[in-house]
Amino acid sequence: MDRFGQRVYAIAYHFTLKREDADELSQEIFLKIFENLDRYDGGFPLVAWVLSVSRNLCIDRYRRRKRENSFRFVSDEAVTALLKSDDDPATLALTKERTRMLFSALAEVPEDLAEILILRDLNGLAYDEIGQALELPEGTVKSRLFRARAEVAKRIRARHESHSLGGPLASIAMAAAGLV
Amino acid sequence: MSCRELERLFVSGAAEADSARHRATCDECERLGAELDRTVSLSAALRPPAWSPALRRALLDIPRSTVSCETADGLLATLVEGEIAPEDEARLRSHLSRCGACAEAAATLQSMRSLAAPEAPPWLAPRLAAARPDRKKRSFWRSAFSGRMVVAYAYAAALIVMLLGLNPTAVVRRAGFAGLGESTRNAVTVAESSIGDRLGALQEKAIRTLAVWRGRIGGYGRAAVSNAFALVWRPEPKKTPNRPRLGKDGGAAATPVDVDVAAGQREELSAPILRV
Repeated sequence: MDRFGQRVYAIAYHFTLKREDADELSQEIFLKIFENLDRYDGGFPLVAWVLSVSRNLCIDRYRRRKRENSFRFVSDEAVTALLKSDDDPATLALTKERTRMLFSALAEVPEDLAEILILRDLNGLAYDEIGQALELPEGTVKSRLFRARAEVAKRIRARHESHSLGGPLASIAMAAAGLV
Repeated sequence: MSCRELERLFVSGAAEADSARHRATCDECERLGAELDRTVSLSAALRPPAWSPALRRALLDIPRSTVSCETADGLLATLVEGEIAPEDEARLRSHLSRCGACAEAAATLQSMRSLAAPEAPPWLAPRLAAARPDRKKRSFWRSAFSGRMVVAYAYAAALIVMLLGLNPTAVVRRAGFAGLGESTRNAVTVAESSIGDRLGALQEKAIRTLAVWRGRIGGYGRAAVSNAFALVWRPEPKKTPNRPRLGKDGGAAATPVDVDVAAGQREELSAPILRV
């Protein structure tokens, strides 16, 4: 229960980026799960089934948070929950900035793409789990994931170019990513 | 003071002939002109620098060794998934080493998977567990006499009574509990006869309806045949005496009374046919 609850909570948090909303959403998801538990026949992986019955709840919350412009200016508190505490301060600062930019860019891509990226890259779901949850063939999941990443990369690049951050920060970024 | 006429003529764009005339008269300008001529001829004699084959190859290899930012977006997506081809990865990394914005995008996308999972608050797990409904297994007798089952039994009993044609109140009143068996048999007999009567009535009604429709169909058929004959064997209409017609040429047009007379004749003709 704890492990599964933690997993559901992580999904809820990634769709809302707010503690209070994630608490509420995970409770709603659990209510939904228990209401529909007799319909679960074990044919799906459990997490995929949970997502399929609670997808609308997640999307509704995500839309609400988008309307509130919450992803445009992501708070420190929201990002801190996603950072590993054992990182050194410099890495923490860099990851915080990147995470903020990531969610900001994510909010600008279409919902169906953002949804897949959240499930795959933030929650580590497999292709077939995502396909079963969203009722999509695996090929469609892959192509959407590709488009989602390309769109997010494009937006992050555009932000860097427009903010002229190609100098010192980029050098630090490249050094940190081991690309130089 | 030196003569600067040659320079002035050059700057003003004067013709070569003017410069030559001045050089013929001025020694100093003649010397300067000769030096200039030598320099020009020397420059003209130089060959353009030949680029090396290695440089040429390197320039031609640029498209194969790197990518544009737009292409890098797509390659990044495959890099994150670990499905990038080795040659594409080399081109992408070559691009990332020069382009800060794309490097940052790559690092951000790659960092997604290494983010920590948000910790659920400690009070959430018990609350989620509390959301689970109580699903204790009920005993057989408890479930057999639950509210829903009692209602279902009542409906089933009522249905059986209706099907058997029993009137429970009358049965109980007439026979009491002692003669319940006999009353039940009587009631079944009554119900059987009642069902037989109803079936007989239904049959009679069906036969009557069938007879009516047969009559109607026969009537319509005969009427259709008669009409067909009337159309083929139409009797000649009676000749009416000629009346003076007054139309455009001064005669009188047909009056409404004439129209009514003609309609009356048509009705007289068709009436016996339709009456068949």
